[in-house]
Amino acid sequence: MIACIADNIISPMGLTTEENFSSVSKGMSMLRNHEDTFGLPEAFCASMLDRELISGLFADHALSDNEYTFFEKLCILSATDAISSCALQAECEDVIFVISTTKGNVDMLETEPDCPGCRLAFSAEKIARYFGNTNTSVVTSNACVSGVCAQIAAIRLLLGGKYRYAVIIGCDVLSRFIISGFQSFKALSPEPCRPFDKERKGLNLGEAAGTMILENIGGTNVYGNGSLWEFAACSNHNDANHISGPSRTGEGAFRVLKDILEKIDRDDIAFVNLHGTATPYNDEMESIALHRSGLEDLPANGFKGYFGHTLGAAGIIETILSMKAVETGVIPATKGYGTKGTTYGISASSATRETDRNTFIKILSGFGGSNAGIAYRRRNVPPCATFRKGGEA
Amino acid sequence: MNELIDKLKTQIIEALNLEDMTISDIDTEAPLFGSGLGLDSIDALELIVLLEREYGIKLTNPAESKEIFRSVATIADYVSKNRTK
Amino acid sequence: MNTVSQVRITREETILDGKCIFTGSITELYREFAGDYPKFFKMDSLCRLGFMAAELLLKNIPAPIRENAAIALFNRNGSLITDRNYQKTVSDDNYFPSPALFVYTLANIVTGEIAIRNKIYGESSFYILDEYDAALIEDIAASVFITSSPSLLLTGWVDYNDETDYLADMKLVTDNKTKIR
Repeated sequence: MIACIADNIISPMGLTTEENFSSVSKGMSMLRNHEDTFGLPEAFCASMLDRELISGLFADHALSDNEYTFFEKLCILSATDAISSCALQAECEDVIFVISTTKGNVDMLETEPDCPGCRLAFSAEKIARYFGNTNTSVVTSNACVSGVCAQIAAIRLLLGGKYRYAVIIGCDVLSRFIISGFQSFKALSPEPCRPFDKERKGLNLGEAAGTMILENIGGTNVYGNGSLWEFAACSNHNDANHISGPSRTGEGAFRVLKDILEKIDRDDIAFVNLHGTATPYNDEMESIALHRSGLEDLPANGFKGYFGHTLGAAGIIETILSMKAVETGVIPATKGYGTKGTTYGISASSATRETDRNTFIKILSGFGGSNAGIAYRRRNVPPCATFRKGGEA
Repeated sequence: MNELIDKLKTQIIEALNLEDMTISDIDTEAPLFGSGLGLDSIDALELIVLLEREYGIKLTNPAESKEIFRSVATIADYVSKNRTK
Repeated sequence: MNTVSQVRITREETILDGKCIFTGSITELYREFAGDYPKFFKMDSLCRLGFMAAELLLKNIPAPIRENAAIALFNRNGSLITDRNYQKTVSDDNYFPSPALFVYTLANIVTGEIAIRNKIYGESSFYILDEYDAALIEDIAASVFITSSPSLLLTGWVDYNDETDYLADMKLVTDNKTKIR
């Protein structure tokens, strides 16, 4: 059994998972208009971190500050919180680091285009080495679906038997490179985004880091805190249609949902957390995929109205938030959603809803025609006397 | 106008990576999207950049661009009326 | 895993199943062994390289088998060459961001191009490692079969530095239970 034993989210709305989920529960967002940021001629609406705050926090923790870029500091801070909360000995041989990012330190291209930090894997190695881990780390670079791909890759490596723990970090930071690119695609909304809504105009970008620590705990329950998040199913399918536009028939997303539904109990699904970028095409495509899967009446939601599209972090933070939702028994509202705006129904809501079910599905789609999904199930486990420390045999 | 049409064809071939094509391969009146050259959504966005970079025309409404980019002829017509460069 | 077919492409030579079949550039390779796909010229160099490697490997694989294939590719440089090219289109004195370039600033697009050309609806993923770690690549590739059952897995290394320095070292494999030929 693969279990999620620790997690963290850092975003403009908080430095821990709890702070971020609390912000979501209060309906908050840090989506703001930015003019002149990164010297861009066109303003944009995004959720951005306070770089000085993050640097300050990092300086409190670390030995030497100037070796690490903003992106790396963010990853390290997020992972530090998760690692310490489960007392994982991250330097052990049976721990592998998997990093989900689309562009890493791409902002370095402006000033130092030939420096090794421009390579995503170089950066990933620095992050793993910070924690003393010497295994080759894996970067999943699968556009917007990277975060779910990272989980799938990690789970498979754990099931393969060579590793017992995976530290999965998802992160992306914004830059002129990224914002200008999305602006050239006319994909951005000038206002806070409206997932699935009739008036949706496009997406907002956001910055965040998320960490999940997974463990292959075999068949035994050794954790005494009452419940366990267990991996249930995963899937990844390509639309084979277009490198940037979603499939008009939702083919890939439909196949992902079909695979996952074969492995979980449909009656125990609390909700499906969608990609919900609020572009006209993505949300329409997801409604088609849900319709073809017979899931139109299943509660659905999206988190991008709170955080924006956090790219490499999205798959991680949105999975963690979905876990918190199930734990509290409350499906968060889809911020920005008001009126049905897709051909087929998506059971999203601008209000919270209660649930007593234990499973959720997270799906994402992205450039390259990728579609990926993952499902987790919460299991109650009997309390036991000892809490085994991570990293020990 | 013919000079502008030929120039546009050259620029389109370069901007959209239409390798192996020459000016004479592009029919001025033929549809660029759907049938004809079979250009796609990314090509349409790239044409918007071309118009701004080469002719100083800023297109902010993707909906109107569909009509403007119907054929090389319609693009030439629009450019000749709206160019600032 | 069982290897069905393998290809190795460098500027020096293209070797398919142990036999050198071509010497020349990627574009010349395209004209010789494909030539029927104008979209090839929209792709960046990394995609052209991966596309041609897949083209040679999948040539004789029937459509129903290709439909359920999976793709798992690896490299060290991601999409860095195209990233640098895109960065030039957003400089202060010449700011005209190119959407056609931007879309290729993601290494996984090569898996998308292969999927579109070959009508592959299975899994597509791209991994970046700091070095060519053959054992880890093999582990990740083999692990695809742990949670899914593709008919075929197209996997391997595809990296591009410049016109004379590139490598595609890719193969088609099945799990130990499936026989293609």
